[in-house]
Amino acid sequence: MSEALLHLDAVSKVFPISGGESVQAVDHVTFDVEENRICVLLGPSGCGKSTILRMIAGLEAPSDGAVTLHGKPVIGPARDRGMVFQAYTSFDWLSVRRNVEFGMKVNGVPHAERRERAAHFIDLVGLTKFAEAYPSQLSGGMRQRVAIARTLANGPELLLMDEPFGALDAETRWHMQELMIDIARQENTTMVIVTHDIEEAIFLADKIIFLSSHPGRLKEVIVPEFKHGARIDDKEHIVQLPGYAELEQKIMRLMREEGSREEQ
Amino acid sequence: MPTPHQARHFLEIRKPVSRPQAILSAFGIWAVFFGIWSVAAHSGWVNALLVPPPDQVFATTWDLFASRGFASDVLISITRVLVSFAMACAVAIPLGVMMGTFPSVEAIFNPFVGAWRYLPAPSFIPILLMWFGTGEAPKLALLFIGVVFFLITLVMDHTKNVRKELIETALTLGASRQVTVMQVVFPAALPDIFTAMRQMLAMAWTYLVIAEIVASTTGIGAMMMRARRFLKTDEILSGIIVIGALGLFFDLAFGRLHRWLFPYRKETR
Repeated sequence: MSEALLHLDAVSKVFPISGGESVQAVDHVTFDVEENRICVLLGPSGCGKSTILRMIAGLEAPSDGAVTLHGKPVIGPARDRGMVFQAYTSFDWLSVRRNVEFGMKVNGVPHAERRERAAHFIDLVGLTKFAEAYPSQLSGGMRQRVAIARTLANGPELLLMDEPFGALDAETRWHMQELMIDIARQENTTMVIVTHDIEEAIFLADKIIFLSSHPGRLKEVIVPEFKHGARIDDKEHIVQLPGYAELEQKIMRLMREEGSREEQ
Repeated sequence: MPTPHQARHFLEIRKPVSRPQAILSAFGIWAVFFGIWSVAAHSGWVNALLVPPPDQVFATTWDLFASRGFASDVLISITRVLVSFAMACAVAIPLGVMMGTFPSVEAIFNPFVGAWRYLPAPSFIPILLMWFGTGEAPKLALLFIGVVFFLITLVMDHTKNVRKELIETALTLGASRQVTVMQVVFPAALPDIFTAMRQMLAMAWTYLVIAEIVASTTGIGAMMMRARRFLKTDEILSGIIVIGALGLFFDLAFGRLHRWLFPYRKETR
């Protein structure tokens, strides 16, 4: 049995808005993320999934409750929780290789080791040929691969991704999703991925945390049982598996319920 | 035979012009300018004492450099601009980056810097002369005052434009605040800061001429005021041409430097 690496205990977030009012974005959300697992936060817009991810990253502090990693409370951002954003975050003034080395460099990893790890992760995301290129010379999908390699090379315990493929075209997104399954298998990476794409969630997730909106509450924890604990690395294959369609429909119903609740 | 809708008009809405056409157009407008000037001066339409012909002005410019030591005036002017500009940058860049990064620092300095921007620098000339006398100090001070407050604001704005995700990426990679500012915020803003420097250097030239015309015995501006006393309009016009040429030279040099320093920025000019 894998043990919980990350634990959220009744985490809430209240944002002040203008006029002294406040809005509750996240309301007492509790869940675990086990080691070497891919956990997907899914829900309609306004369910606070990005806010939850930012609290895990330490970029926002919970208003109430606690986020703990290995039982220790999270206070602020640190290298043990690497984050990949939807927007491009390449450091344009550095080559791909130096982008990937950046985290290791600021954390004092010796030069030789840095080079070696960077080369490994650049290879893992298939950018070896572009190691000396500048990010502005790369496509959107390639830039996200740089961001993923840069985060992984820094050796985080947890890879956090906030709709990482949302800005990519459909075909590139598909390749990136398959790449993530590959990476999870090769590197034993624990991931928390935020998405609103149902297909992406089912394909990637070992566990789906479904959230309802306004305020963001935990609605259901969904384990895609039809995968039988295995990871399928082929999108064409997964949609044909028995149980896939049922799960997709179930999640679409959940989404729709949320949507109609919104309109009332 | 081109069909009618393929025929290219001279006035095409937002269609780029070819390089030969661009060069021809640029030379053309200057040729017209010098042509009218030349004809007007030689034919006596205008008083040749007030408007000497261009060939005389260029000859005078050559003579000023070749036999009347104008080069030392030019060198003094360039030195004044560069020294005061360097001082302004040394203050404005660190402060602007800090203000653009830390709202607490902005809260302290912005109300101060913002107000100074509305005080025209030349209004300080009388008091600067009283404080610093007639040496180099009042000129450098005027150029410094004229440039520094605008530069601070521009640097601050460019620093604020650094996307939040870049900063948060650095923090989640384990970078300290200091490392984040020095190795992410500053390099991310640097190409734009450099462009702001280029714009402000042009402003420094403006203040230089004001300083030298009002209160100097050396430099290009002072030479022009001396020439005025002796009705040497050709020398005044020479001064204007030299100032223009220097401004153009520095602007092109900055543009070159920008392309060389920031090759990843695909910007024209």
